[in-house]
Amino acid sequence: MRAILLIVAILAIVAAPMAAPWLQFVLTMAVAKGLAALGVAVLLRAGMISIGHAMFVAASAYGVAFLARAGIADFGLLLVLSVVITGLAGAVVGAFLIRYRAIFFAMLNLAVSMVFYALFAKLYGVTGGTDGMTIPVPTVFGIVLSEPTFKAVLFYGSVALMVVVGLAVHRYLDSPLGHALSAVHTNEVRLEYLGVPVWAVLLVAYVVSAVLAGLGGAIAGFAIGRVVPDFAFWTASGHLVLVAVLGGIGGVPGAFIGAFFLELLHTEAAAFTDAWNLIVGAALIGVIMFLPKGLYGLLTRSEVSAK
Amino acid sequence: MKFKTALSAFALVGCLGAAMPAFAQDKPASLGLGIFTFTSGPAAAYGMPGKNAADLMIDQINAAGGIGGVKIAPTYVDEAQGAQGVITEYRRLAAEPKNQVMLAALSSANCLALAPIAEQLEVPTVGWNCDTHQLLQDGKSKYVFRPNGNTVPEFVAYAVYLLAKKPDVKTVAIINPDYAFGHDAAKIFKAALHALKPDIQIVAELFPKLGSPNYQTEISRLTTARPDVVFSNLWGADLENFVRQAQPRGLFTSSQVILALGETVLQRVSLPDGVIVGVLGDGWWMSPDAAANPETKKFAEAYKAKFGEYPVFPSIKMANTILYVKAAYESAMKKNGGKWPSRAELAEAMKGSTVTTLTGKSVTRADNDGLVDQIVGVTVKSPTQSFPVIGDMVRYKGDALMPKEGQDPIAWISTLKPEFAASLPKPGSYK
Amino acid sequence: MNAIIPLVLDTLSSAALIFFAAVGLTLVFNVLRVLNVAHGSFYSIGAYVAASICAFIVSRHLNPYLSFVALLFSAALVAVVLGPLIESTLIRWTYGKSEAVQILITFGLFLILEDLQRMVFGVQSFYEDTPMRLMGSSSIGGVVYLNYQMFLVAMAVIVVFGLRLLIKHSRLGRLVTAVVADREMAQSIGVDTNKIFIFAFSLGVFLAALGGALAVPTSGVAPGLGADTMVLAFAVAAIGGLGQIEGAALAALIVALARVLAIYFVPSLDAVAPYAAMLIVLLVRPYGLFGAITTRRI
Repeated sequence: MRAILLIVAILAIVAAPMAAPWLQFVLTMAVAKGLAALGVAVLLRAGMISIGHAMFVAASAYGVAFLARAGIADFGLLLVLSVVITGLAGAVVGAFLIRYRAIFFAMLNLAVSMVFYALFAKLYGVTGGTDGMTIPVPTVFGIVLSEPTFKAVLFYGSVALMVVVGLAVHRYLDSPLGHALSAVHTNEVRLEYLGVPVWAVLLVAYVVSAVLAGLGGAIAGFAIGRVVPDFAFWTASGHLVLVAVLGGIGGVPGAFIGAFFLELLHTEAAAFTDAWNLIVGAALIGVIMFLPKGLYGLLTRSEVSAK
Repeated sequence: MKFKTALSAFALVGCLGAAMPAFAQDKPASLGLGIFTFTSGPAAAYGMPGKNAADLMIDQINAAGGIGGVKIAPTYVDEAQGAQGVITEYRRLAAEPKNQVMLAALSSANCLALAPIAEQLEVPTVGWNCDTHQLLQDGKSKYVFRPNGNTVPEFVAYAVYLLAKKPDVKTVAIINPDYAFGHDAAKIFKAALHALKPDIQIVAELFPKLGSPNYQTEISRLTTARPDVVFSNLWGADLENFVRQAQPRGLFTSSQVILALGETVLQRVSLPDGVIVGVLGDGWWMSPDAAANPETKKFAEAYKAKFGEYPVFPSIKMANTILYVKAAYESAMKKNGGKWPSRAELAEAMKGSTVTTLTGKSVTRADNDGLVDQIVGVTVKSPTQSFPVIGDMVRYKGDALMPKEGQDPIAWISTLKPEFAASLPKPGSYK
Repeated sequence: MNAIIPLVLDTLSSAALIFFAAVGLTLVFNVLRVLNVAHGSFYSIGAYVAASICAFIVSRHLNPYLSFVALLFSAALVAVVLGPLIESTLIRWTYGKSEAVQILITFGLFLILEDLQRMVFGVQSFYEDTPMRLMGSSSIGGVVYLNYQMFLVAMAVIVVFGLRLLIKHSRLGRLVTAVVADREMAQSIGVDTNKIFIFAFSLGVFLAALGGALAVPTSGVAPGLGADTMVLAFAVAAIGGLGQIEGAALAALIVALARVLAIYFVPSLDAVAPYAAMLIVLLVRPYGLFGAITTRRI
């Protein structure tokens, strides 16, 4: 039942831009944000909240921009390399940060992300400062594409990537490593008594989350055609957590449900109100207080009652 | 699944390809105009006068029957939402066929971000205020125009004026906002000073973040450097804050201050006499040329009546840009027998055009950059106004301070000689 | 020697502003164990209210010295109106819940407050420098400083010692300390913890709003101030050790010194310096200079 629902949803996403072409950009961004939010959601499973993950979104987008400037023009190569770089950055930052829990984990992520932000913003000669860097239209398998064609390729590629990555993360969360993650949340010490190296479990999770944020960042960068330091600002990190929680961290689709819901609602709401943050903030508080499993929880709950 | 995705991608590409060509059309019900400016945050102090002027100018044009009988319907986009939001809004507006022209943008950063998209989407886009010389440097733009000219003549003008006014300047300190506009201006101003007077020393160079509210430490740093001249192209609320904080701390008495965008705050903060200010172009509503133009006087009075202050130069830039778009429509329609032009025909009409504005002329070169005159002066007390005005003015010809198309601007500046400066008009010659 | 004087004065005066941004955050964490992400919004609301009241005083040609009273009054007003309201509805709900929930609830509150400010105060910058101009300026070591800058330093010192006095030596303070040390025990001996929490949260709001109000005469206020203040407050609170008031004062000095040195000697890194200082301190002392190591939850 749920699987069918998800497939229908994906088909609807694929078909939407044919009816309304401007939706293509909005939906591409929704996939990008969903991927990044999924990264945050992975850590939330272990009860670890990061208000700094936008740094990996930015790192990857800047990675693409720098690699493109260095002469790499192929889409696939740019994507893979920038995500690998982000993964490495995640491993370095993670190795240091996973020692901390709770508020300290959240704040240290914030601290590191603000260093990233400030460096991106201040190194005018290298990063273009607050003007950011251009991300040119890349070639795809050696073929030079026009901008609209590339954006179409990017959109369908992103949706495909969302499905593949979503399945992979689902497998990961269902593996012993993934279950150990939830166990960190409930009882970390018992996990250690059982001989499970908590630091390894968390480091893997941190790198996975950085890679997911990196994927999102690269896609967002390609879609916008530019990367600016604001990608890494703390409110951007806050929004990633918000998307994850709004959608629900109970399963992989939650992050994407949150992202699509917010992006589409934003596009609609922008037409008649500019109190967007107020709406989102109130929705966030409402969901936390009354819908602890997020919007995705609505889906899963209805399935239980259907049984 | 994958096969299906690939298939639909092909289908979509096909659709887009077929939809591309655009033809001259029947007259639409209204002409959509996307106008990008700062309407919130510290930059709104500069962006709102632009929006106000657009409102007023569009009202005046619509009251007179619109452009070729078509009324203008503007949509405003707030640039304070950052590059990502600005780009999203641009794409959304461009996707609607009724929006034929974009006036984008105020900030150089946003112009640089939007230019490639304008070219890709083939939407005529007129930079109404942004002035970084990087924008049109490659000379390949088909759809991006900038009737207001760029940073090179704007800041060479200040160097020339300063040296004419104070020939024995030795030390200069710079405080500019930390983005393309601030860095470009510093580079150009320094290059021009070094070319025209090689023994000048730059004793401090500060680039506070755009939107910084507090400049106290920067002011101490500038004071301790004891420079003959402090140059700044801060703008918006940043400039107001800087002036309010620097003045009681004596910076204006210990150094000759140059505020490149100083005209925008004349009516809001009390600047002392003798500060070198200008309008980054010719858009000074009280200039002799403007005073001689009844349209300009009418516009200024209507602006004052509606918004409570006189139009500062961002207002004039916006008004001039709308006149520029109007002129392009009229010439395009003339060319194809009164039919409403397509986006491409409109862009074609902008190329190489010469348009009479409220304050002078704007000539569009082959690289789509505009040539406008540069007015520079110093603050003086006014017999007629309660705020200081610009006196001891000079008006440099637009093409005199501009490198040729395709020429590297910094390389061009470094070829300038003191004799070149001597050949230009002197302070006080424009009255 | 002469070169040192401006460095010291600039560091002190910016440290005062930075300290006011952070002290409320750290106080609230100390008592309520809640990291209030909406703290920066109280700062900017305080600034808006102060700017509005000062502007009113000026426009009515009232005694301009009233504007000093207005700065304090507006902070108190914000604290009395918003403190109890928000504590008893949102913040209280999060006690005992996970940090993730606390951060998210206050982040939601931050988003709401940011939009409410735009609706109430508009999107333009506010500026009201009457108090600054009234105090004049003095030349020290060849550099002219505003007397108002020194007034801020004095205010910061007063707040540090005032809070110390309040917490260590007043009855109310001892009750707060008791609640911090052992919430249940305090409850069982008849302390009304709800009242203590409302008081502590409102005091935090007051300090934040006071910081914003005191910043208005030199810096004005514009949209985005809340978000910028928030990160600065985080940085200072983290360096000092969450919940440590003297720690926040020392941290403000460190952050200010880093920024001042950067502006004097490597201006291209001015905005990086505070965060770099934070990262360095946290690498050496992850729980902050004065922070205690908390054990992992079992």
